[in-house]
Amino acid sequence: MHFFFHLFQGANVSQLERDIGADQFPPNEHFFGLVNFGNTCYSNSVLQALYFCKPFREKILEYKARNKRTKETLLTCLADLFYSIATQKKKVGSIAPKKFIARLRKEKVEFDNYMQQDAHEFLNFLINHINEIILAERPQNGNSRHKPGSGDSVSSQSEPTWVHEIFQGILTSETRCLNCEAVSCKDEDFFDLQVDIDQNTSITHCLKCFSSTETLCGDNKFKCDNCVSYQEAQKRMRVKRLPLILALHLKRFKYMEQYNRHIKVSHRVVFPLELRLFNTSDDAVNPDRLYDLVAVVIHCGSGPNRGHYISIVKSHGFWLLFDDDMVDKIDASAIEDFYGLTSDIQKSSETGYILFYQSRDVPP
Amino acid sequence: MAVQVDGGSSDGGDPDELKTQFYTREGTYRLMTLSEYSRPNRVGYTNTQGNPSVRVSFVNLPDPSGNGDRICFNFGRELYVYVYKGVRKAADLTKPVDKKMYKGTNPTCHDFNSVTMTADTVSLLVGFSTGQIQLIDPIKKELSKLYNEERLIDKTKVTCIKWVPGSTNLFLASHSSGQLYVYNEELPCGTTAPHYQPFKQGDGYAIHTCKTKSTRNPLYRWVLGNEGCCINELAFSPCGSYLAVVSQDGFLRVFHYDTMELVGVARSYFGGFLCVCWSPDGRYVVVGGEDDLVTVWSFHERRVVARGQGHRSWVSVVAFDPFTSSCGSVKLNGSSGSNSKVDFSDSDSESSFEHKRTSSNSDMTCYRLGSVGQDTQLCLWDITEDVLRQPMCPRTRTTSTAGLGSLSGSKTLNGNGAPSASSVGSTTGSIVENVKCNNVVTNSVGSKDKGADHSSSNSHHSGSTLSQKLSVFGFGDRKEGHKRNFSLGPKSSSSSDKSHNSSTVKSTNSAADDPMRLIGTSTCPRFDECPLLEPLICKKIAHERLTALVFREDCFVTACQDGYVYTWARPGKLSGGGAGVSNLPSSPGHVSLGTSTPIRVSSGNGDGAGISPGAPTRNSPDLPESTGNTPTSIV
Repeated sequence: MHFFFHLFQGANVSQLERDIGADQFPPNEHFFGLVNFGNTCYSNSVLQALYFCKPFREKILEYKARNKRTKETLLTCLADLFYSIATQKKKVGSIAPKKFIARLRKEKVEFDNYMQQDAHEFLNFLINHINEIILAERPQNGNSRHKPGSGDSVSSQSEPTWVHEIFQGILTSETRCLNCEAVSCKDEDFFDLQVDIDQNTSITHCLKCFSSTETLCGDNKFKCDNCVSYQEAQKRMRVKRLPLILALHLKRFKYMEQYNRHIKVSHRVVFPLELRLFNTSDDAVNPDRLYDLVAVVIHCGSGPNRGHYISIVKSHGFWLLFDDDMVDKIDASAIEDFYGLTSDIQKSSETGYILFYQSRDVPP
Repeated sequence: MAVQVDGGSSDGGDPDELKTQFYTREGTYRLMTLSEYSRPNRVGYTNTQGNPSVRVSFVNLPDPSGNGDRICFNFGRELYVYVYKGVRKAADLTKPVDKKMYKGTNPTCHDFNSVTMTADTVSLLVGFSTGQIQLIDPIKKELSKLYNEERLIDKTKVTCIKWVPGSTNLFLASHSSGQLYVYNEELPCGTTAPHYQPFKQGDGYAIHTCKTKSTRNPLYRWVLGNEGCCINELAFSPCGSYLAVVSQDGFLRVFHYDTMELVGVARSYFGGFLCVCWSPDGRYVVVGGEDDLVTVWSFHERRVVARGQGHRSWVSVVAFDPFTSSCGSVKLNGSSGSNSKVDFSDSDSESSFEHKRTSSNSDMTCYRLGSVGQDTQLCLWDITEDVLRQPMCPRTRTTSTAGLGSLSGSKTLNGNGAPSASSVGSTTGSIVENVKCNNVVTNSVGSKDKGADHSSSNSHHSGSTLSQKLSVFGFGDRKEGHKRNFSLGPKSSSSSDKSHNSSTVKSTNSAADDPMRLIGTSTCPRFDECPLLEPLICKKIAHERLTALVFREDCFVTACQDGYVYTWARPGKLSGGGAGVSNLPSSPGHVSLGTSTPIRVSSGNGDGAGISPGAPTRNSPDLPESTGNTPTSIV
């Protein structure tokens, strides 16, 4: 399954230190691979990407420092893992995220097997779950009661957690009734944007399409409060509040009826190292936000249930490739290998799957 | 009057369909299937993703027979020079003028010297992916010199190579290391790595010379931006005095070449700038990049004056069409690049424009710009000067398109154009000009209106940008309410005009490498602070990303990452039987994206496609080397 990246296997840990150079090696930084426990690369790749999302790592380590003795949760396991990496004596090596994986399998039955899982589903679960744990651990008072998993309206009224502060943005959906011309707006929160992709496009273009106007008609008419009836309408979704870390999920697994399964879409979608959003709403709070690409989760292989996940991250100005327990320094120009394919002939591809962009106004 | 017939509407309008012809207001452009240049031994699908971009250089030799056009292009490890026969005669791929195949390195860029050429000699510079530079004569084949052979000067890829305009021996080579070197082809490169001493320093750049007793190459080393920030392309102004350089750090830097003074900068909206060109009159520099935009920068005002949105991915080449651009009644057909020397058969005077604004508001100038990108699309843009003269102001784009669905175009743009024209102090905002410009916009909206109102498809091929769609759907009124807060009377716009000037000065003085500080300045206006252009046409013309675009008198030439160089005949340039036109596949035969095998448009020229290896060509296709002196360094 890991056929492609076996060619990296020759590189041992000291090779990485040599590649970076002793004098260039960032102080207080650790590059540790994560051991694979049988198809846990979906988790390893996402964890590495998150570890190198600096604001997230800092909050996790803060949490670790604050919470001395609590009962084991997925969050404490993640905090222990991050802490363990951050406090290693050696600069490079590998580490086994045993406790985290065990806890993950207890928390979510879908992950309790040795099947390949979807990295985005895992990211989504992890972010939401951590957020719920934080909410649940808040000091209880009279009118707020949180339980993990109870996504009721109470939690949305409470103060935002640091997970919100890092990942959460707001989408505003504007709907214009074609009968009375009235425009209604509805806001919704998001932790990541799930973006359809087209062949030979850029992520910029895909985001523009994400926010392009669609017509609600036929069975999908819009219930206009003004007209008090179902009407044809025009709708678009734009970003009203831009998150600190913008996670973009490229929808590369498409259900094909003729095959009765999901197939991988290997389209070439380029993603720049620097990004601004075109699809912001008129009343957006921070539309000029400039993002830097900090991590990419890459899917290698031909389908959602086969293949492999790796990640590339930017740390202190250079790029690293994490393939489970192996870590290699790569040239920024090698990123173009992960854009995708212009032809549909080749079955297998190594393609960017989840992009992590970090806002530049975050203190590094 | 400008009338655009959308070629897409006649053949179903599928944006993923490959176009072999398209219409603009001046007529029909047709792909000349017989004028297709590629390697002679055509093979099936090969993975070309990692290859360097296929670039194209032209030269017109003073050949007494009148067939002096030569074309050079690189593909993979190979480099080809052919006689270019234009639109009238079929390409003869069996007899390349020269053909080279390199070991361990790829040619990445090339440039002919049009000063020293004669009917049977020409100097061709070739840059390589491993940093070396070769000087050859593809005709005589006697000449061959190597520069940076041992890679002591720079180990990184040569990204762009250009003869200094008018010079017999000086050339510039930029590298992905972010350095730019000036070479004299007559000087040696030395046997040791050069030691440099500072020569000149400015904001965001430094220039060094070699510290040696005897003069050696490189004569100068320019370091641009932060270390290791790849220079992507450079272009000399038509007058030869100015040098525009674009880099991966998202900057356009324009220098006075002789004094080495930085005269202006622009910053991308985001991402690297990938390509650069000058308008034929030298008044505008256009850049394209990873923000999917083409950005127009005014040389005189030193500011970004417009952006164009139409590509669906990164813009890889921008080029003005000097033959379609017009300045009042005068055609701007001065040769735009150093290597695109064209002979002028028509009697139009070749107007030479200096870097002076001769008459500020005299005639209406309309520039024709072309761009190709990684989206496999060609975009053509008509840029009128009234748009470029608008001062930087918020929410311009909404006015230019809002409500077009109901209002007549001229009305809208008059409303928009009038205040801006007066704020610049020009009195030329004549109705005729506005109407002319309007038609371009209105027509593209109109075609969209008719076509795909109900399609939820997000892929469109002709000028349907987000803002335009929204205007059609009437979100405009809400935006206009928003706009009113920022609406500019002549007073406020003149004050904002002032702030442009000051911010230009500030940005050039403080190097301002920080894009966070540049946003909202004339170096990098916010997206809605400068006019947004829409393409006249936007056509998917290839399966692979496009890598070259050259406008010639009777055609334009595009190249594709898969190694094919295509010739598109201009309207009315198909006299003498119109080779290839009758062979054009009709609509059902158009190549569509869904096919899994790459289909070439059939050339109908069987002998060209199937050259036998044993054919008595001057350079047998299977020869590994045509000369023994190729750079053979192995990385």
